[in-house]
Parts: sequence; structure tokens; C-alpha cells
Amino acid sequence: MKTWQRSLLLVVGLLLVGTAAYAQLPDPKVHDFPIGGNRAAVWVVAQLHILFAAFILGAPIFVVVSEILGWKNQDGRYERLAKEVTKVTVILYSMTALTGGLFIFVLLATYPQLTAWLINHFFAVFAVIYPLLFIAETIVLYLYWYTWDALQGPKKGRHIALGVLLNVIGLATLIVIDGPTSFMNTPVKSAEGLDLKTFIETTATLWDKMNNFSWWPLNIHRTVGNVVFGGFITGLIAAYMYLMAKNDEERAFYDWFGFIGNLIGVGALLVLPFAGYLLAYELCDYDASICPYMMSDQLSMFFEMQGAMVGLIFLASNYYIWLSLKRIEGLERIRMRTTTMILMASIPVVFMFIWTKFPIPDPNAFILPACWVAAFLIAGRFLKWTVPAQTMVKVAFLMVIVGNAIWMTPHAFVATQALAPDDGSLSLPHGELSLGFITVDWGMLALMPAKNAAAFTLVFVTIINYILYNRAMRQGRIIWGKIDFVAQFVLIFLAFSAIWTMGLMGAVRELTRKYFHVFNLQYDFTPEAFTPTLAYSSWVITGVTLTFYIVVSFAIVLTLRIGKDKAHADAPKAVPAAAGGK
Amino acid sequence: MAGERSFIGILIKRLFLGGVAAVVLLLLTRFVFHFPPIFQAMFVLYAGLGTVVFILLDAPAVSPFSGVKALVALVAFYAVLAGTFIAGANFLPQYDPMVEKGKIDKIVKPKLAATDKGKTDELLKRSVELNAQSQAIMKRLEALGGADKLKAAEGDTGGGGVAPKAAAGDLVALGKEQYDLQECYNCHKVGGKGSVKKRGPILDNIGSLMKPEEMKEKLLNPRAWMADGFEKEYNKKLMPDKYKELMSDPEIDALVSYLASLKDASVETPKPIKK
Repeated sequence: MKTWQRSLLLVVGLLLVGTAAYAQLPDPKVHDFPIGGNRAAVWVVAQLHILFAAFILGAPIFVVVSEILGWKNQDGRYERLAKEVTKVTVILYSMTALTGGLFIFVLLATYPQLTAWLINHFFAVFAVIYPLLFIAETIVLYLYWYTWDALQGPKKGRHIALGVLLNVIGLATLIVIDGPTSFMNTPVKSAEGLDLKTFIETTATLWDKMNNFSWWPLNIHRTVGNVVFGGFITGLIAAYMYLMAKNDEERAFYDWFGFIGNLIGVGALLVLPFAGYLLAYELCDYDASICPYMMSDQLSMFFEMQGAMVGLIFLASNYYIWLSLKRIEGLERIRMRTTTMILMASIPVVFMFIWTKFPIPDPNAFILPACWVAAFLIAGRFLKWTVPAQTMVKVAFLMVIVGNAIWMTPHAFVATQALAPDDGSLSLPHGELSLGFITVDWGMLALMPAKNAAAFTLVFVTIINYILYNRAMRQGRIIWGKIDFVAQFVLIFLAFSAIWTMGLMGAVRELTRKYFHVFNLQYDFTPEAFTPTLAYSSWVITGVTLTFYIVVSFAIVLTLRIGKDKAHADAPKAVPAAAGGK
Repeated sequence: MAGERSFIGILIKRLFLGGVAAVVLLLLTRFVFHFPPIFQAMFVLYAGLGTVVFILLDAPAVSPFSGVKALVALVAFYAVLAGTFIAGANFLPQYDPMVEKGKIDKIVKPKLAATDKGKTDELLKRSVELNAQSQAIMKRLEALGGADKLKAAEGDTGGGGVAPKAAAGDLVALGKEQYDLQECYNCHKVGGKGSVKKRGPILDNIGSLMKPEEMKEKLLNPRAWMADGFEKEYNKKLMPDKYKELMSDPEIDALVSYLASLKDASVETPKPIKK
């Protein structure tokens, strides 16, 4: 083990033991950050830590899958992808530990009483379970990385087993630390009728506190989110390497690399809105006042921004598919059923009406949409009209735009219900009046059935595009490395937007605690207990995203570019490959 | 050359269609939906984005470039992205934190005062104030030159009867303040103002339909009473059961007094049903 790795372990150990000791100090001093204030300091450091952690937990999931695919199919590209992503992961792992340590220091300096309170309530987690998992993960990650070349051939299975173990430990670490995090949002209530404070301070066990309302929704959401994040960062790595590529062979490999990263990112992205919906549902189920605070009051415009970002991400991912399609020879022969195109175009309107009439979870809310889709699939068996792939994709783009426009249609036009005008009307420049909220006639566009239909449209369109792409790959010939250069900027855009959106929604989850550190339990007595504006938040989120990008860019260039020659010499030949072939 | 010409043709066609879409959206959002200007602009910009996307679909491929040119392009791209996202967030209506700050002070300060730290801070603050007051009295005594005049001066200050008079006088106003502080308007409607999503019942005539002790029971145990039309399982869980822990008895009494004062029979108010 290298000196810096031993130091890393030592820092982690000292931090965790030292934190527990510091927490016991009576009335520790509160320090004030001179620039931005204490809340912004914690916000920035916590967000940075979570971004690094998201990558080091998300990337190994598909790294192992990639390694298995490479081993089973004897395709060297998967092996090389897995190894290069792991190389970046190892560097970013140290950044995760360092920002994690910084996070604890900043918390202790700025919110010592809250930190002490949390550590006392989750002492076994912070002082025993989490450190042990972290150390185990460190050891297994380094074992996984340093035994890569040694455990080849017949020993490959052992290396893959190490990778699986790394993921199991990583997932366990995430689940454990999500306990206190989710507890701050939804502290468990007593089943015996005790008030919340008495129950938490006297009766509740560690398991009671861990197993709170939003624990599993948060675990699911973060796991899926980490895979999305890992996929898009893989796309970013590919884009950087493509930009720095010096020959066609490198361009071919990193073109394929980017395609796989985008596939993983988009694949998991399709599930993410539903995982987010589950988390929001559980938060609202815990305390219904959280719902209006998020959707129609102080955080309403954060969701408006989220709608814009999700639309941009779906547009960009579909545009990447389009650019990928354009480099497939024989694309002009690919056609899709007209009925599929009509089905795709009908979804926003038809599903919105069905879900307005039969709100989820009414059985009809599932049966009727299924019947609608089935009717078109059956009709497609008899009606043989087809449209070219290009037309299909263009209609798909139109539907992404329409779907997202519905998603972005606001229910109210004010950033808080507290500021809604008394008579419900807003004056427009030429004397006409607008209601403070969307008119009843068009109100359905702003309600959840319409939003669900819009989300389903975005997901459905993307799936259809991938089906089309898959068909084109099987029937045509893909020329890796010949993708439009703009595609690399699309990959960079996707990673940047995904990180920015993660920052936005992370802020939303934290802010739902309102003026509490621990919702309904620990008041935030600091002057910064108010909800920040979206404008202010966007500056913080952008600053964090750019900082993360600078570090990641440096890590990619340092690990993959500087050591390129050696890696390149070991790499298997990758181009040209027939589409669909192994 | 032919490819360039055909792309220019596509560009003109798409720009024209995008322009038409933008005008249609502007007319719709302005005259049919009656959206405020910010949201009219948002949908017009959205039409612009759609136009750009459809232009990009048929744009000629860009050849690879690298080195300094790629680095400059990358930095410029990040600057544009960061600027666009910040501008987008700033473009939307902004919430004024000052509104919430005032509310939070009213809610949180009494809680802080109730903590050990709060009590210690309060005692320290009062001792400083008392010290300042005693010094001021000494100065006035010296200036007035006698105890008789001091007595008169004490009479001028009013003694301390005003505050209790104000506290007892307007319980309904204090209750209205609690209604706003607890953000009841997010689910209920009074006087036509409040939730437009009908999460909870309209309360305009609730004072005629419930006795104060029944209202108190509802606040402390939300499932004890349900409004007519809100009996579904989902609705039963909507009203949070936290107020017995977060509000003091005088605050709950004030809120009940305010609700009991709501007796506008002209507004249809769902009937409460005991469960």
C-alpha cells in the first residue's frame, strides 16, 4: 500500500474517532464562515462529497457488469472500459474521503450542537458500522484495482467476485449512511402515541431511527441516481478521451465507450423519475405539509426548473441517439410501423385523460393505458404501413418537446402561496388580468395526471428510439469513430446537466426540512433557517458543479491521458466492428 | 456545395416553422391561458429551443478538432452552460425570503427561549437591560431632584398594564397570525384565498359548524373529525398530526378562537363528521 493510501486510511480513522470525541465536548464554539455563511459552506462541501460518492458507488456497478461482459464475450473493449473507469474511480475515491472529512469538520465547526446530537443518536453508525464499511470498501477497492492484471485468465472469476464484493460493501455503506440522512427528513413517529421528542429521546432504538419513512425510498433513489450519474460520467470520460484522441483507433474505442456510458445513463434515467416520485410520495405521506411546500409554495419554482432540466436531458440523450444513428450504414432501409408512431403521439393526451378520470392507484389507471398500447400493437399486426426511421425519430423529438411543455406548465405563477395576490389575479402590462394560477379550463395541464403522462411520454419515446437504434444496429453496419464530433459535446452536456439537476433536487430534499435541522424535532435557530431563492441556489449549484468538473477533468487527464501509452499498448484492437456483432 | 444549399433551405424552413410555433404559443399563453409575461416568454423561448433542436437534426456533421481549439471550445461550452442554467433559474419568479424570515422568527424565537441555552441567554440579556434601566433611573432621579417627582415619572410610563391588555384583547388576530404561521392556507381556503388544489376543506363557515372544543380536538387529533367529502383513506392522512407537539396551548387556543370567528354562511363549507 502506498504512503498516500495509508495516510488516507489514517485520516479517515482519525476523523471518525475524533468526531465522536469532539461531539462529547460541552457547548463547543460555533464558528462563522466569513464568505457565504455557514449554511452555504456546509451546502458546498456536502454537495461535493455526495457527487464524488455518487460516482464511486455508481461506477463499480456497471464496471463489474462490463468486466463480466468482456470476459464472457471475449470482447476486449468491455475489459478496457471497466479498467479505465476503475482507474478514474480510484483517484476520485480519495477525493470522496477527503471531502467527507472536510464535511465533518465544517459541520462540527458550524453546527456543533446538531452534529453532537446526531452522533449521539447514531453513535453505533458513525463510530463503528460506517468506519468499518468505509475501511472495508477502501481495502476491497484497492485490492480490486491492484489485482486486475494478476487475476486474469482462469483467475478472472476471482477478480469479478472482488468487484461484486466491492459493490455489496458500497451499497451497504450507502444504505447505512442514508439512515441518519433520511431520519433528518422523516424522524420516526411513535406507534404507542408518545410525542415525537419523548419517543426519539427515550424509547426509540437505533433500528427505529434508521428504519424511518423515507429510508428505503432514498436508498432506491440514490442507487438508481448513482448509476445514472456513473453512466453519464463514463460518457464524459469518453468525450474527453475522444477530444484528445490522436488516431482513428482511439476515436473508435472512445466513440463506443461514450455510447455505452450514455446507454447506461439513459437506461437508469428512465427509472429515475419514478424513484423520485416514490421518495416525494413518502415525504408527503409522512407529513402532508411537505407537499405544498415543495410543489406550490416556497420550492415550486425549483420544480419548474427541474422540469426544464429533465426536458433538456431527454432532448440531449435522444439527440445523441440520432447522431449515433446517422453513422450507421443502411439506415435508410430501416422502417417502423405507422401505428407505433401514432401511439407515441397519442400518449400525452390519452394518458392524461385516463389518469385524470382514474387517478393512480385506481386499477383502471393501469388497465386502460395497457389496453390502449395493446390495441395499437395488435393493429400494427394487420396494418402494414411503415415510416422511415428518420421520420419516426423526428416525431419522437416533437413528442419530447410537447411532453416537456406539459411538464413545465405551472399550476401557479407565484413563487410562494404566501405572496399570491388577495384577489387571485395578477396584472398584465396592458391592463388585462391573469389569475395567480392556471385557469380552470386548462388546469388539468398543471396537475399530476398531466405530469405523469408527460413523464411517461419522455420515457416511452426514449425506449422507442432505442428499439429503433437496436434494429438499425442489427440490420446495418455501424462505423465506430465516425460519429459527428458534436456528439462529444452532447455527452459533456448530459453529464453537466445530470450533475446540476442532482444538485438542484438534493437541495430540494434538504430544504423540505424547512426551519428544522431534524424535521419537527430539532429547530434551526440560526439566522439562515429560511428557504433560499432559486436564483441564489442556482449560483451555489453551478459553483459546486464546476468545481466537481474541474477535479474530475483533472483526474481523467491525469490518469488516462498521461498513462495512455502503456494502456494503449495493452489494448485490444477495436475497429471496425460490424453492427450487432461481437 | 449542394449539401450546404440544401441545409440553408432546411434552416429557413425550420426557422419559419419555429417562428410560427412561437407566435401561436405567444397568442395562446397571452389571450387564452392568460399567463403572466414571464411564462409567456418561457413558452416562446421553449419554441425557440424546439426550433434549434430541429435545425440541429439536419445540420452538417462537424469534423473532429483537438489541441488548443478543443480546449477553448470546451471552456466556452462550460461557460455557456453555466450561464444558461443560472440565467434560467434567475428568469423564473423568485421567492422573497424576507416573508419567511419574519414567520420563522415568530415561530422559532419562543422555542429558543424555552431551551436551556435560550433561558441562559435571556437571563443574561435581562440582567444587562435591568442594569441599563437602573442606571437610567438613577440619572433621572438626579435630574428631577426628588422622590415625589420620581413617583410621577413612574406613573407616566404606564406601569405595565398595556401588554396584558393587548394580549387579552385580540385573540382572534393572534389566531389569524397562527393560521398564517402554520401555513394552513396551503391546504385550506378562507375568504377566497388559499389552496386552489382543494387539499383540505374551505373553512369560511367552520365557526357555525363546530364548537371550539371540537376544533381543538381536530387540531390535536386530526383523524377525530373528517370533513364531508374528505373521507377517503388518502384524505384521512392529509392533515398532519404534529400541531399538538409544535404549538403551545395558548397558540392552539388562539387559532381555535380565530376559526370559531369564521361564520360566513354564504360560502359553502363542508360539514365536519365525528369519527
